[in-house]
Amino acid sequence: MTDHPKNRLLRPETLTALGIVVVAIGFLFPTSELRPISALLPAAMLIGLIVLAVALLVTDQRKASRDEPSAAMTKSPKRVVSAFLLILGYALATDFIGFYVSTTITIPLVAFAFGYRNPLGLAIATVIVVGTIWAIFDFGMSQDFPTGRLWGR
Amino acid sequence: MYSDLLHALPDVLAWTNFAAVVIGVIAGIVVGAMPGLSATMAISVLVPFTFGLEPLVALGLMAGIYNGAMYGGAIPAVLLRIPGTPAAVATTFDGYPMAQKGEGGFALQVAVVSSAIGGIASAFALMLLAPPLSKVTLLFGPSEVFWVAVFGLASIIFLLGGNPVKGLISACFGVFVSVIGSDPIYGNDRFTFGQLEILDGIHIVILLVGLYALPPVIDLLETPLKTGVDNSKLGTEPIWKAMPRMKGYWKTWLRGSAIGIWIGILPGAGGSMAAFMSYNEARRSSKNPDAWGEGEPEGVAAAEVANNADTASALIPALTLGIPGTAVAAVMLGGLLVHGLQPGPMLFRENPDIVFGFMWQFLFGAILLVLLGGSLATNSFARLLNLPRPLLGSVIIVLMLIGVYSIHGRMFDVYLMLGFGAIGWVMDRLKFPLPPVVLGLILGGFAEENLRLALRIGRGDPMILFQNTTSLILVALTIAVIIGPTLKKRFINSRKTA
Repeated sequence: MTDHPKNRLLRPETLTALGIVVVAIGFLFPTSELRPISALLPAAMLIGLIVLAVALLVTDQRKASRDEPSAAMTKSPKRVVSAFLLILGYALATDFIGFYVSTTITIPLVAFAFGYRNPLGLAIATVIVVGTIWAIFDFGMSQDFPTGRLWGR
Repeated sequence: MYSDLLHALPDVLAWTNFAAVVIGVIAGIVVGAMPGLSATMAISVLVPFTFGLEPLVALGLMAGIYNGAMYGGAIPAVLLRIPGTPAAVATTFDGYPMAQKGEGGFALQVAVVSSAIGGIASAFALMLLAPPLSKVTLLFGPSEVFWVAVFGLASIIFLLGGNPVKGLISACFGVFVSVIGSDPIYGNDRFTFGQLEILDGIHIVILLVGLYALPPVIDLLETPLKTGVDNSKLGTEPIWKAMPRMKGYWKTWLRGSAIGIWIGILPGAGGSMAAFMSYNEARRSSKNPDAWGEGEPEGVAAAEVANNADTASALIPALTLGIPGTAVAAVMLGGLLVHGLQPGPMLFRENPDIVFGFMWQFLFGAILLVLLGGSLATNSFARLLNLPRPLLGSVIIVLMLIGVYSIHGRMFDVYLMLGFGAIGWVMDRLKFPLPPVVLGLILGGFAEENLRLALRIGRGDPMILFQNTTSLILVALTIAVIIGPTLKKRFINSRKTA
């Protein structure tokens, strides 16, 4: 993702434009089942997206033909992918094993994985954050958090 | 017209509402001081937590954060040459050289006083200009409201600068998201695919948190910046002792405030543009322009007064017409909607205490900057730069999840937010502007409802949209906004080649 891809079709803007076209066409089908007046705005937006994405695609391919470098997405793809996966993993863990358990694991895990390696600092931060959340939301505002689908609750 | 303004004052001074502004200002300075975090992100994360709060408490927090963050951005700009917010870039020009000379403390004091003056001027502009503008918009019918929405979207797409194709894609995406859910008139489902969770549409907070909070968190985790400030080198003295050294800056403050207010009102412009313009103008009229860039305190004053002067003024078009002047104002519109406050003329008629109270909160937030961002606090806030970024990132992730989950108490919204977050990250990296998405979501439903209402009144004849003078003026303004930047570009190019 950092280097300029050799294949012109793998340039980030080109891929994004193609993605927009495919998704917009996919969403256009259900508009045929709507009343014309209900479908007016969504269809206009989807067609607009397709036309604009094609314009973006053409512009980016022209840049490619002039050997202009493509927009760089990230300098550290591994860190970005890891960050996304950890965030998704945290959401799934909250859903399946419960909020407090997953939060107690996630705060030190994410901080440790991305470079903060002080065990005492991690422990103190986790206790403070989880304790504050419990005091404010659970105790103070009676807010219910997910308790975990795995436990059938 | 202005009597409502005075009536709103006692409510603002109630201790809970006032405390909200104080907490907001402190939180805003903290957020602004952390490179990578912004007022937009902080307010996006905050909005879901304000559901159960009184509107003035919630709005006080937002006003405080906005004011605080605009100053907070100056702290790393002065001490590390890393602008905490985009609006603080111009502050680095003279602030950092001052810190190098051991005058970092004075630079921050100039920044805080200038920020407060800019914020106060901006709050007065909001108080004076918004009420009469709201009276004019009361005369609007469905077709005019439709054109106001179109004008708002066009303004933010074409005046924001950058690539208009990307701006249009962002807006189309936002409007498309606004139509998901039940049709507002016939009630049939649109693009819900059987998911009951989105039958009422996609909640704006889910989109805001995804678009504005997730990408900065990824940034925090992606690039671990090593920041470290030795506070002993700040050279801070009590702020009342530093004030007499600033008395020569009044012209810069006046000019910068006027520039900031004007830029704030213009849709699509923002604090960074205001700061650059003010800095350039102040330098141009300086008796000693060569000293600028080498540690001239007036340079810090020029940049900071202007980037704070565009805060409240950005809400003039936002509160009266529903067109935000900046990205933060767009997010604040979302915050207003969460509390059932629809921006526009009726907001001033139906909720005068809240809307005018909000204006007072901007004024108090600006005044509080001097008290809270003074010498002692400046040292404390500078220490924030030593907070480990990965730890900060992990805490924000937890706050995002809590905030979005709390809206309806379901994990579906969290997954939806993560989806928008991924889209927001790609858009951010490819320089697709994010404000048109938010504005598209806010104005999309609004525009559709009024368009359909106008067509019903005109019995299906689209000419109803062009049948009165106000509509035609709005159409003309929209066309001007669309072709204006292109004409300007051609004019500049032709002058260059001539």
